[in-house]
Amino acid sequence: MSSDAISARGDLRLTRITKSYGDFKAVDDLTLTIPKGSFFALLGPSGCGKTTTLRMVAGLEEPTVGSIHLGDTDITTTRPYQRPINTVFQNYALFPHLTIFENIAFGLRRRGIKDVKEQVDKVLNLVELPHLAERKPTQLSGGQQQRIALARAIVNRPALLLLDEPLGALDLKLRRQMQIELKWIQREVGLTFVHVTHDQEEAMTMADTIAVMNEGKIEQMGSPADLYDNPETAFVANFLGQSNLIKGKIDGNDGDNLVVDLYGQKVSMPKKRSHAVDTSLYAGIRPEKFRISRLGTPVRGNTLTGGHIEDVSYIGVSTQYVVAMPWGQEVMVFEQNDDGVAPFDKGDEVNISWEPTFTFGLRGDEDIEAGTEVNPEELEEQ
Amino acid sequence: MAKERSLSPEARSILGTQISRRAVLAGAGGLGAAGLLAACGGGSSSAGGDAKTVRWGNWPLYLDYDDKTKTYPTLEKFMTQTGLTAKYFEDYNDNDEFFGKVQAQLKLGEDIGYDVVTPTDWMAARWLRLGYTQKFDAANVPNKVNILDSLASPSYDPNRESSLTWQGIMAGFGWNVQKNPKGIHTLDELFAPQNKGKIVVLTEMRDTIGVILLAQGVDITKVTENEFMNAVDFMAKKIADGWIRGVKGNEYAEDLTSGDATAVIGWSGDMFILSSENEGKFDFAIPESGGTISGDNLMIPSTASADGKKNAETLINYYYDPAVAAEVAAYVNYVCPVKGAQAAMEKIAPELVNSEYIFPTEKTASRLHIFRSLTPDEETKWSEAFQKAQGN
Amino acid sequence: MSFPKVRVPYLLLLPGFAFLFTFFILPIINLAQTSTQTPIAGGDTGQYEQTLAFGNYIQAFVDNKEQFARSFVYATLATIFALVIAYPLAYAIAFKSGKFKNILLVLVVAPFFTSFLLRTIAWKQILGEEGFVVPGLRSLHIISQQTTLTSTSVAVVAGMTYNFLPFMTLPLYASLERIDPRTIEAAGDLYANGITAFRMVTVPLSLPGVVAGTLLTFIPAAGDYVNAAILGSPNTKMIGNVIESRYFKIVDYPTAAALSFTLMAAILILVTLYIRKAGTEELV
Repeated sequence: MSSDAISARGDLRLTRITKSYGDFKAVDDLTLTIPKGSFFALLGPSGCGKTTTLRMVAGLEEPTVGSIHLGDTDITTTRPYQRPINTVFQNYALFPHLTIFENIAFGLRRRGIKDVKEQVDKVLNLVELPHLAERKPTQLSGGQQQRIALARAIVNRPALLLLDEPLGALDLKLRRQMQIELKWIQREVGLTFVHVTHDQEEAMTMADTIAVMNEGKIEQMGSPADLYDNPETAFVANFLGQSNLIKGKIDGNDGDNLVVDLYGQKVSMPKKRSHAVDTSLYAGIRPEKFRISRLGTPVRGNTLTGGHIEDVSYIGVSTQYVVAMPWGQEVMVFEQNDDGVAPFDKGDEVNISWEPTFTFGLRGDEDIEAGTEVNPEELEEQ
Repeated sequence: MAKERSLSPEARSILGTQISRRAVLAGAGGLGAAGLLAACGGGSSSAGGDAKTVRWGNWPLYLDYDDKTKTYPTLEKFMTQTGLTAKYFEDYNDNDEFFGKVQAQLKLGEDIGYDVVTPTDWMAARWLRLGYTQKFDAANVPNKVNILDSLASPSYDPNRESSLTWQGIMAGFGWNVQKNPKGIHTLDELFAPQNKGKIVVLTEMRDTIGVILLAQGVDITKVTENEFMNAVDFMAKKIADGWIRGVKGNEYAEDLTSGDATAVIGWSGDMFILSSENEGKFDFAIPESGGTISGDNLMIPSTASADGKKNAETLINYYYDPAVAAEVAAYVNYVCPVKGAQAAMEKIAPELVNSEYIFPTEKTASRLHIFRSLTPDEETKWSEAFQKAQGN
Repeated sequence: MSFPKVRVPYLLLLPGFAFLFTFFILPIINLAQTSTQTPIAGGDTGQYEQTLAFGNYIQAFVDNKEQFARSFVYATLATIFALVIAYPLAYAIAFKSGKFKNILLVLVVAPFFTSFLLRTIAWKQILGEEGFVVPGLRSLHIISQQTTLTSTSVAVVAGMTYNFLPFMTLPLYASLERIDPRTIEAAGDLYANGITAFRMVTVPLSLPGVVAGTLLTFIPAAGDYVNAAILGSPNTKMIGNVIESRYFKIVDYPTAAALSFTLMAAILILVTLYIRKAGTEELV
């Protein structure tokens, strides 16, 4: 089986994968299909199991339970060098004793390809570094090394390209630039990319589909917009951007909408955006969806009254307000600085309002702090 | 010969043997570095001499020593008797190294830090040749007459005017009794088939070649260069033909105990200890054709002050008292050079009175010979030939 | 009072330089002088006068070609054996030892806690007639009843291999341990099987350790005389034994000095060629 694994193509299917280290389950009963040709991101904090998942796909770890298929080929126990899968390692793992050219040619030569020059030159051009062919890796900048690591993998035209925190070591500006380039290269070469990251912004910029992982399981999977607009769990709501989660109770129906009681004030939200299982729920509203108004100013949509401005931070494109609500909760509000309205001051009495369709509903028994303590800059250990 | 002794005590303990303090120094003689290292530690000897002090540089572990009191009993008695202070330095580790250390001062006539030194015969000869010693005042060393007849007139100091033997060392055949039940008394018996490849001879040229020369009927007190070179060739051939496995210092004792050697040209003191520690598994004899005897010699450096010289003479005279000499001999197990010590031994260690190792009988003594002293040219040329024969 | 900043580095160099000058440069000069001396006519043993007898070098070399050759052959063999033994050992410690890593490293260094001399003498007992090796090999008929191991070149090379093994193991360990395991994973990821990954990545990346280890083994081994003196026979004498004998026994200081210089030069040339050949200057 392993001999023909190298030519396997198709969707990657992980079926009921569990990886245990003693009592600790790094990956817990994970099932996942990654369609051929997609740019897929595994997003999650340190220790969520995303790197372990990646290493099992690469063949560097073997699942304790479960199977991995590439197309129709079972590759669960196939040795790494027999898989049509290449990896861009977190610290690039370039071979320091070989030139850039030989680094890139390494995989081709191992597969017995004699004439490597044309293909190597092609990928060097793709990553726009043809002039560095004869250098050694240590003579390159971080960004250049990153591109060479990518070139070294894609030159093999693998069925699957795995990227393990590929931009983690780059500075912010370079990271932004590389995000765009990676996306462009993926479209150019048409390979399946599986990208592991803890950086939600990076995942959202590049991936077609994101799977958010937490404690060895997938919390939610979908397009970046789906995940952001309609998170199903507090973890996703908090890990992707910021959320205001207000405790409430379902108080009745109004057509396709639910009537929700938030500390005595009635608001509405679409039924299909609620993931509550009973009448208790958290109403979720992203900070930029809120609008602030002075008392007496007419507003549309849902309104909560009785707030006052607790804190004001002006950050250029927007102003961030912390509004203390009568029940003691502080909510975050981002206002675009686009309407010429004089900013609010600390202590001002205000109402907050939003469009009902922006509301998402979470189960009332959720831990609303889930996904907030995670420091997204923290590098994954494994 | 004394030159070859300086193995670390732990090395001996690994062999599981317990031996006299003098012989503890066996072994690393072939390793000059050990001597050099030891030399570094000996700097304290320059403590100045005064009218009531005598400073003696001797080979390590070569004087009776009391482990309990950490003193040298005979030396303590000397100090009590004479009121002098004896400073005893165990830093004479190697003839060449010691000579190298003090040569410059001797040349300039500056105090070398010792009033008595203990060089081996051939080195003693060099000191005498170079005028680095002082003649004894005969009146101060009346016990001089006690020296054994066989040691009384070496060629380098025929009348013992400047040197007296401290201890004598016999070289002859040593063997493993099981492999050589009849013993070894001739060179042919040494080179018997059962010993092929398991014979070790001494690195000390005058002993190994001396024994061979005697077996060839040569008088080693008059040996010529041709005769010497003949004997060296004989040894070289025995090495080339695989009879002799090694040319070694005291390590031959280890080879005997480990079974790697079954027959040796060795030293009496070592063989005495080996035999007593291995329930008679080994034995020693002076060859029928004769063995060599050599000695380490008490001498007074030319740089010793008048007081120092006088005190040194007192010390030397003291150790030529038969009772004192017997006490030392009972401890170090080498040939006691003092007449009358044998009688005195009766009171100290009766079981040693008839020890051939300490008191060779008249018959044995008559077969012991001293290798003649060599000119500087001979010394260089002969030792070069001897070294080359052993692969150096 | 303060020194101008720029002088501080030079001041820091001073103790090292003074030490080297006193204990290396001066002795070397002295050695060079000695090597061209000749005996004083009619002088005593060990008395030499300064001439410019460069012929000493030729004489010393011609007389001892055999021991020179033997030194380099033995040192090369010991270096190869030490490498063959130390590489798997260092590899296992670096990659496979887990929590036992520190214990194993201590065990590698442990022989240094006893003296070099003592360890070599212990080997004499191990290889001796009443050790366990010889009777064992005899009962297995690997060696004949007459064959002995001590006083042979086998014993000398074995002793040297053993004595210099830590010098080989430690630099190898250091360079293997420094390899990023991800580069080896990357090789596997790029279609190299275990053996190919080892050959193409692990070995080249450990080359600085191989070079350092072989030098640290070869250089002292070539000048060693303790192993040949204790474990060898007259037929296994090395150049170190000749120097020792010339210096201490024959008291022929000029020849001893000339031999020392020749040995130093030979080692220096070989080492330079070796480093050139290994081509690892930029990696070291």
